[in-house]
Amino acid sequence: MNRGLNRFAILVACATFFLIIAGALVTSHDAGLATNDWPLSNGQFFPRMVGNLFWEHGHRMVATTVGMLTIVLMIYILAKEKRDWVRKLGIFALLAVIAQGLLGGLTVKLMLPLAVSSAHATLAQLFFCTTVSLAVFTSRSWIEARPLPEEKGLLPLRYLCTAALVTIFLQLVLGATLRHSATWDQHLPTHLVLAHIGGAVAVMIALGMATLTVLQRHKEEKFLARPALIALLLLFVQLSLGIAAYLTRLKSPDDPQPLNPMVSITVAHVACGALVFVSTIILTLRTYRVLPARPALRESFLQDYRIGQDLHVNPE
Amino acid sequence: MNKQTKVWLVLSIALSLLALGSACSGGNTNTTSNTNGGGASADAGPYSGPTGTISGVISYNGTPPAPKKIDTTADPVCGQKNPNLMTDDTIVKDGKLANTFVYIKEGTVEGGKKVGDYSWPVPPTPVKLDQNGCHYAPHVLGIQVNQKLNITNSDATQHNIHWTPKLNPEWNQSQANGAPPIEKTFTRAETLVPVKCNQHPWMKGYIGVLKHPLFAVSSDTGAFEIKGVPPGKYTVVAWKEGGATGEEKTMEVTVPANGSAKADFAFGGAATGSTKPSLQMMPALELPVMKH
Repeated sequence: MNRGLNRFAILVACATFFLIIAGALVTSHDAGLATNDWPLSNGQFFPRMVGNLFWEHGHRMVATTVGMLTIVLMIYILAKEKRDWVRKLGIFALLAVIAQGLLGGLTVKLMLPLAVSSAHATLAQLFFCTTVSLAVFTSRSWIEARPLPEEKGLLPLRYLCTAALVTIFLQLVLGATLRHSATWDQHLPTHLVLAHIGGAVAVMIALGMATLTVLQRHKEEKFLARPALIALLLLFVQLSLGIAAYLTRLKSPDDPQPLNPMVSITVAHVACGALVFVSTIILTLRTYRVLPARPALRESFLQDYRIGQDLHVNPE
Repeated sequence: MNKQTKVWLVLSIALSLLALGSACSGGNTNTTSNTNGGGASADAGPYSGPTGTISGVISYNGTPPAPKKIDTTADPVCGQKNPNLMTDDTIVKDGKLANTFVYIKEGTVEGGKKVGDYSWPVPPTPVKLDQNGCHYAPHVLGIQVNQKLNITNSDATQHNIHWTPKLNPEWNQSQANGAPPIEKTFTRAETLVPVKCNQHPWMKGYIGVLKHPLFAVSSDTGAFEIKGVPPGKYTVVAWKEGGATGEEKTMEVTVPANGSAKADFAFGGAATGSTKPSLQMMPALELPVMKH
């Protein structure tokens, strides 16, 4: 385990989170087309950052920084990391950030088509997921984790968590599509709002079940209980932010310009959504790390079954 | 994977897919072609003959919404040049409404031909649109298809002009202070095309693009006059900005040869004329909201 590498991976993950906030600020301010240039802004590397160009060019500067950090991270991983699959993930992170940069350019050049903008927002979350995973895989707790006793419950946790993760990801895609389907001065499309609310219910069920099951079965095991608790708390914050974001967004078409609290609450909703996603990723990865795989579980069930049969046949 | 796990997994994923599917299926179906300008079918050549005028006054009944103060602190240049910048979507003076776009939507010229059957020569003079004090001047304007639009920037800051039409191609172009005017044309009739500046998100304007020159914009006194109208019976539309969709009123008007026809419209409280939302924007969200 290389502590420096782990710290650097955490730094890149934090920078990526900051980049997601910067990107959300661009969307909430409707600043994506503040310049028709890309990669330069109004033909300059350092334009006068006034008006909405502050948000758009600021986002580009943060993105450039994250891109540079990802290059360094990949080099660091290739130099220090022995595990082949982690090395490959480092390369994947770099490819993802390059693709994300190109998608960002496309959104400007094609004038924010819904599909490209939503893909840009979705890939941002996937890239964040990658950097957080790298931070997890290079951590001491991951490397030193020991397998837990086999699960006794009917629903294997690793599948419960995976299902929650998939549900959250689909909800993030929906959220990205909703946000990019109307600017602040237009009403949100009702069908997308309803779909996003439906998605929130699905996430509540899926993540609620996964985290509560973790807390029920492994309350004493901090390695699992901590991310489960964090994910659960973030879920409640996120649901509250979602309601607040909807109410403030409902009124924004009557405003003369994008105003607070609409901007801050919608951005907080995006940021918290990203945190719910990564906390679930951490939880899912950890369940795969310490909990037995399906064959072992099946064997465990069979053992239980045999014991039950024995007791039935021979109650003494 | 045991049976219950499978059922749970399928249920969870199905819920998400259902939500996603709902999002994909219920898209904006409001794609009605908007070819205002008379509905051209056959070219009958330019109209030559006697003409009349349509004139009127746009009134606003009741108390208009108060203009809102715009926060220009994001760009000090805007605040220095225009320190009291206010919204101008409903400008009412003595009960009269400015910036209303009035135009002939369709109609029949005496003799039986539709107004769109005629070809209407494109004026050689461009229409001017200036960005001054981080504000579009004029706020609402009309232009003919293929007529040049001359866009200037009188501010000591950079703007971007972003048109978001439905029928014409969308375009977005930055314009620095001192940069030469940008010239653009619209190739299809469309009422009304919004324009905005993404650098200064309060900057909004509207342009009505028509095949014919039979349109006008109400002045500060609410008055308008459409000249050179061939005698006939027309549907006249008055459009005003407001909210996310705008508002439209229509009126049937008969124009006599060498004469004048009146078309007074009223918006606001007890308004006259048939009303409908315009601009084909996103439908308003109609979910229950708690009110105090």
